[in-house]
Amino acid sequence: MARIELRNIQRKWGEFWGVRDVNLAIEDREFLVLLGPSGCGKTTTMRMIAGLEEPTEGEIVMDGEVVNGVDARDRDVAMVFQGYALYPNMTVYENIRFPLRMRRIPPSEHDARVRRAAEMVELSEFLDRKPAALSGGQRQRAALARAIVREPYVFLMDEPLSNLDAKLRQQMRVQIKYIQRKLQITTVYVTHDQIEAMTLADRIVVMKAGAIQQIGTPDQIYHDPANTFVAGFIGSPPMNLVAGRLEGGTFSAEGIRVDGLPDRLGGDVVIGIRPEDCTVADEGHLSAEVFGLEPTGDVTYLTLRAGDKLIEVKADRSYRVPLGSGATVAFDPARIYLFDAATGERLR
Amino acid sequence: MGARRGARGESRLIRYLILGSWALFCLAPVLWFLSIGLRPRVEIISPQPIYVPHLSLEAWHMIWEDWPMARYLRNSVLAIFGSVLIDLVLAIPAAYSLSRYRYRGRDDIGFYILSTRMMAPAIVAVPIFFLFRSAGLLDTIWALMIVYAAINLSLVTWIIRSYMLDIPKELEDAARTDGASDMRILVEIIIPAIIPGIITASVIAMIFAINEFLFTLLIASTPNAYTLSVALANFTGGSDGLIYNAIALVAFLAFVPVFLVVVAIQRHLSRGLTMGAVKG
Repeated sequence: MARIELRNIQRKWGEFWGVRDVNLAIEDREFLVLLGPSGCGKTTTMRMIAGLEEPTEGEIVMDGEVVNGVDARDRDVAMVFQGYALYPNMTVYENIRFPLRMRRIPPSEHDARVRRAAEMVELSEFLDRKPAALSGGQRQRAALARAIVREPYVFLMDEPLSNLDAKLRQQMRVQIKYIQRKLQITTVYVTHDQIEAMTLADRIVVMKAGAIQQIGTPDQIYHDPANTFVAGFIGSPPMNLVAGRLEGGTFSAEGIRVDGLPDRLGGDVVIGIRPEDCTVADEGHLSAEVFGLEPTGDVTYLTLRAGDKLIEVKADRSYRVPLGSGATVAFDPARIYLFDAATGERLR
Repeated sequence: MGARRGARGESRLIRYLILGSWALFCLAPVLWFLSIGLRPRVEIISPQPIYVPHLSLEAWHMIWEDWPMARYLRNSVLAIFGSVLIDLVLAIPAAYSLSRYRYRGRDDIGFYILSTRMMAPAIVAVPIFFLFRSAGLLDTIWALMIVYAAINLSLVTWIIRSYMLDIPKELEDAARTDGASDMRILVEIIIPAIIPGIITASVIAMIFAINEFLFTLLIASTPNAYTLSVALANFTGGSDGLIYNAIALVAFLAFVPVFLVVVAIQRHLSRGLTMGAVKG
C-alpha cells in the first residue's frame, strides 16, 4: 500500500507563495501527473513529498503517518531528476547500485538487482561506462534504473524527459508507463508538457501560481475544464478563448456571432471552442481573414484573425487556402464552453 | 589558397616568437641562478664578462657536505605536506558548510575566513611567537605546519568552496533521496567531484608554504626546524661573506619541485585561480 495525502500544504518564501492550499490524495499504484507552467509550484510540491523541502504549513501523510520533518533519506522515495543527477565519478553500475548500498540492502542481492533494473531500461551493455560517456537518452534511462532498483514506496519524477528530443521523448514515455504498470508503484510525475500529462496520467493535477486549478482524469481535464486556465493549457493547439457578451442566448464579439446558447446566462463571458470542434463551412459563426495555414500531413491547422484574436481551426488535411483571403468557420454549439469573464470559472 | 596557407604559417611563427620570447623572459632569472649555482665562486664575482663558463659542482658539494641540507629539505617537505593535510581536513567540511547549508551569518563567516588572509603578517608575528613559546612548540616542525596551515586555510577553503558551488544541487538531492547521509554525500559524491579543486588548492598552498620566510625565521632557531627558505639566509653572513652559488643552487632546488607540480596540473591551476578570484 502506498497512499499519500497532502493536507492544506503551504510553502512560502518570505512574502512569496510557492505553494498554497494544496489538498491532494494520491491513491495506491496511481500515476499522478502534476501539470502546469514553470513556477506554478509543481516541483516544490514534489520536493515536499520527497522530503527535500519542508512545507511551511500543512501535513504530508504517507500510509496514515504524518511524515513532516522526516528526512528525505528516511522516506522510501526514489526520485528521477530533470538533469538526471547521475554521480559523475561512478560507473552506471555503481550509480544504480548506490541506493542499495545506502539503504543497507544485503550486498549479496546487489548484483542481481542492478542487472534486473538495467535490463528493464535496456541499459545492460552500458554498465561499465561513466555517465559522461552516455547519450542523453541513455543517461535518462540510467537515472530511471537507479530509481527502480530498490522498488521504492513511491516514484517521483521531475520533468525527466524535458532534456530529450521529441522522438526519444515519445519512446521514453511509453517505457516509463510500461515500467510503472509492471512494478505497480505509486508515481508522481511533474511536467509542463500537456501531451506527457495526457498520455501518462491516471489523474492530472493542473496547477497555477502555487494553487491547484483542477484534478481529474485526462478525459475530464480535456473535456470538462474547470476554468479558462485549464482550458487554455490543455490541448495542442489549445482551446480558442474569445471574450464577448452574452445576451438572450446569443454571444457576440468582433467578427463572431453564436446563437442557441443558454438564455438563463448573460453578461460578459468568455466562450471556449476547441480547434477540432470548428469546421470550415460555407455558412458559419465566424468569417475572418486567413492569418496562417499549417499543413502537418494528417491535418491542416488554419489560423483566422478575428479582431485582435487568433482562432485556431483543425481542418481537413487537404484543405488549402491562400493567406490573406477569407474563410468561414462553423462551431458545434453543443461543444461550446462558457466561462465567467471576471473569474474565468466555468459556467457551462 | 597557397598565399593563405603561407599567411597562416607566418602568423603561427609570429605567435611562437612572441610566446617564446615571453617564456624566455620569465625563465631568464631561473636559468641565471642555475648558471650561478653551477660555477665556481671566483668566476661569479669576477667583474669581467665570462663567455665560456666553467662548470663546477663546488656549491653542490658544499651545500650537501658542509650544511645539513638534507635535513632542511626534509623539514620543508614535512612542514609543507603536514600543513596541506591540516588545511584539507579543515577546509573541506568548512567549504561544504559554506556552500551548501543555509544559516544565519553564513556569508559573514565566509568573509571572515577570507579576511584572515588580508592581515599583514608582521602584525601577528609577535603574538604568534609568544603563543608558540608558551605552547613549547618553538623550533619544531609542528609549529611550522600549524603556521603554514593557518596562513593558507582561508585560500584553500575559498577555492574548494568555489568548486563545490559548481556541483549541481540536484546531485545532492539525488543522493539524499537514495538514502545517503550528509557525511556520505560529502565523501562519496562531493569530494570525488572536486578532486581538481582539491589538487589546485593544495598546490597553491604548497607554493605559499615553500616560500614562507618570516614566520619560519621566527619559529625556527636551529636546524631542527630550518627549512629551505630560511636555510638560504645561512649563506648570506659569516666569515665567508655572501656565498652566491650556494644561494642560487638552494633556491633552484626549492623551485624545481613546485615547478614540476605546476606544469603537471597547470590546466586545473588556472581554472582554480580564476574561479577562486571571480566567484564568491
